[in-house]
Amino acid sequence: MQQGRLSETFDFERQRQREDELRLKNARTGVNIFQASWILAFVALIIVNLQLRSTSPAWPPLGVEKLDPVLPTVATIGLVVSAVLTSRAFRAIRHDDTRGFLVQWRAALGLGAAFIGLMAYEWLTVTPAPEARIVLANGEEVTAVLTQYNAMFRVMTAFHALHALAIGLYLWNVLRGVVQGRYEGGNLWAVEAGAKLWYFVVIAWMLFYVVLYWL
Amino acid sequence: MASISVPMPGAQSAPRPQLSEYLRWSVDHKIIGVQYMVTALIFFIIGGGLAMLIRWELLTPALDFSTTGSTYNSLFTMHATVMIFMWIIPFWAGLGNYVVPLQLGAKDMAFPWLNAFAFWLIVPAGVLMLMGYFVGPPEAGWTAYPPLSVLFSGDGQTLWIISLHILGVSSILGAINFIVTIKNMRPESMGWFQMPLFAWAQLATSLIQILGIPFLAGGLTLLLLDRVAGTAFFDPARGGDVLVWQNIFWFYSHPAVYVMVLPGMGVLSEVISVHSRKPVFGYKMIAFSSMGIALVGFTVWAHHMFTSLSPELRIPFMITSFIIAIPTGIKIFSWIGTMWGGKIRFNSAMLFSVGFLSQFVIGGITGMMLGAIPVDIHMHDTYFVVSHFHFVLYGGSVFAIYASIYHWFPKVTGRMMDERLGKIHFWVTYLSFFFTFFPQHLVGMQGMPRRVAEYAPEFQTLNVIISLSSFVLGISTFIILYNMVWAVYKGKVAGPNPWRALTLEWQTSSPPPAYNFKGEVIPFEDPYGYGTEASRVYLDEMEQRLTLPSLLGKGGTPPPASTTPEPVVGD
Repeated sequence: MQQGRLSETFDFERQRQREDELRLKNARTGVNIFQASWILAFVALIIVNLQLRSTSPAWPPLGVEKLDPVLPTVATIGLVVSAVLTSRAFRAIRHDDTRGFLVQWRAALGLGAAFIGLMAYEWLTVTPAPEARIVLANGEEVTAVLTQYNAMFRVMTAFHALHALAIGLYLWNVLRGVVQGRYEGGNLWAVEAGAKLWYFVVIAWMLFYVVLYWL
Repeated sequence: MASISVPMPGAQSAPRPQLSEYLRWSVDHKIIGVQYMVTALIFFIIGGGLAMLIRWELLTPALDFSTTGSTYNSLFTMHATVMIFMWIIPFWAGLGNYVVPLQLGAKDMAFPWLNAFAFWLIVPAGVLMLMGYFVGPPEAGWTAYPPLSVLFSGDGQTLWIISLHILGVSSILGAINFIVTIKNMRPESMGWFQMPLFAWAQLATSLIQILGIPFLAGGLTLLLLDRVAGTAFFDPARGGDVLVWQNIFWFYSHPAVYVMVLPGMGVLSEVISVHSRKPVFGYKMIAFSSMGIALVGFTVWAHHMFTSLSPELRIPFMITSFIIAIPTGIKIFSWIGTMWGGKIRFNSAMLFSVGFLSQFVIGGITGMMLGAIPVDIHMHDTYFVVSHFHFVLYGGSVFAIYASIYHWFPKVTGRMMDERLGKIHFWVTYLSFFFTFFPQHLVGMQGMPRRVAEYAPEFQTLNVIISLSSFVLGISTFIILYNMVWAVYKGKVAGPNPWRALTLEWQTSSPPPAYNFKGEVIPFEDPYGYGTEASRVYLDEMEQRLTLPSLLGKGGTPPPASTTPEPVVGD
């Protein structure tokens, strides 16, 4: 009987280890699938943008200036750098370099916040209000097509910013967790997930950036 | 007898969960599965009630109880939305939840908490949807085409959009859960092609959901903004384009019809093989055709828009629509091949599967007719279309749901449903279904448009036949509901494997214990290897493992030999 109980304990340990491994594997697969799936919501908005563009006589309409890409480009570069920083930070903490993690993760968060701030500024100031009427080059006064150009920009940047904000808050929570030593058991999945999700934010923005400013 | 005190794997039959466990947050996939299915059944009754009102209205050519056409608009809008998004789709999510982890020999789904969360999103979504009916109902049909859905519908349309958004999130979370479970949690000895076909069907369904729903979500976001934030993405008067919505909506919603029918096809593959006591004919072809339907399903959406599409774009979509008949046909012939020469048990589950075959083929053929451009332009928006999709969604999906209930009810509750009532239910449903929907082809071809409350008097005779049959069809639903309630309390004890099926969900007690299996999970080498000596030995051995303690007077499940409802004709 004693023998039996011992072997049971042994099995239990191994079982638990196997289950932990499975849980991690599941979590990785799950986040990958989620990213592959949800990026399509961004693609859907891009398709709407392209279809509206194809049916309007001019895009942007005559008399409306194309969006100025300077400030958004700066913000985009910052965002890309922040993604590099998060993955470097993740590598640092995997090698027990908590200090290196904190510096890079904080810098990434700062850049992310700066990106959201700059884009919010663009959203509020650069484009005229949707209901504004403008006079075209030929003297005609319209709101219609301008509204589409305008509204598409606003919807896409806001849709992206909401995701950046939510995932940014999660990164901030991970940072707090590391400071409090929450992941010292060696389970770094929360950090890894943060880095992966931030990549998602960056890739989604790269798609939007190209469509909004360069197409 | 010291050896008997050694715990036998799976020896104790688990007690049935208390009713209160179903009303609470639970992360057990078996509880969640039942929660999904019962919730869906409640919505089925609501949606069915709305259908009865629609048919009542159509008894005479004039307006009857609807004071205006708007009342009627909101009726069919709610009927369709409830049936699609709150009955069929959640029911399949529930059945998949219950059966898939068991079929894979897993303890639970990959993400139990997420699973519960996905279910509990259905509840507020359903409440919002029904609330919408009372605050100014949506009137734009389940397709919610603008400008109807933006300019004319009441506030209920806004709630409708939010409700669908929530349901979309729920479906995506559920789909991720299925894919991860199926990919990562099979036992080592179960390769992709030893996996039960129901799991394949759920995998294909989940792929459609993760690829399609984000588009619906994007479209719904814009529709919501058009309604509440003053944008005009779908308003041509302000530079928008209604076709944008139609494209986005059907890019999701055409694949969504496969979300509604693919799990049903998975059910058929299980039921037909088990009750014909024969291996599935063309296992790999069925599995691949599920994936084929899922992928080709994304290339056919514009056949819903033939009349609004520029003519040169119609041809490619007609071709893809025809192509998708191929994987579907492969399945139909595979099922017939499976039954061919089998020792068929015509019990209720099998009857509904065969019923599915006959009715779904009619729906499929009319689908091909509608896929042909000239026919579609003639039949567009007539009752022919209504008839077509009821043949695939009722004659297909709902029949498959009934088959799945008769097949897996003993596993879920540990009790057998009444076979005689099941057969009565089948014949009443089958006949009243046929006479409800087949005459709709005829009125459709004669030119009766869909979505109208008043119609030309010459259509009345057929409409009266349709309405009377539909009332019988409505009543027939209560036969199975009564049967289920009766069986829970009074049904014969089922035992672990009343059908002598080879898939893993039957190799544990009914209902399964916490974490599903006691001891090691041993899958049979071929989930459909019926009729071989090896399968007979396997089934006998598993049965002994599961029932031995009760033979020794230790309680638990009685031996199935005395409780199996009808003699098993060979393995």
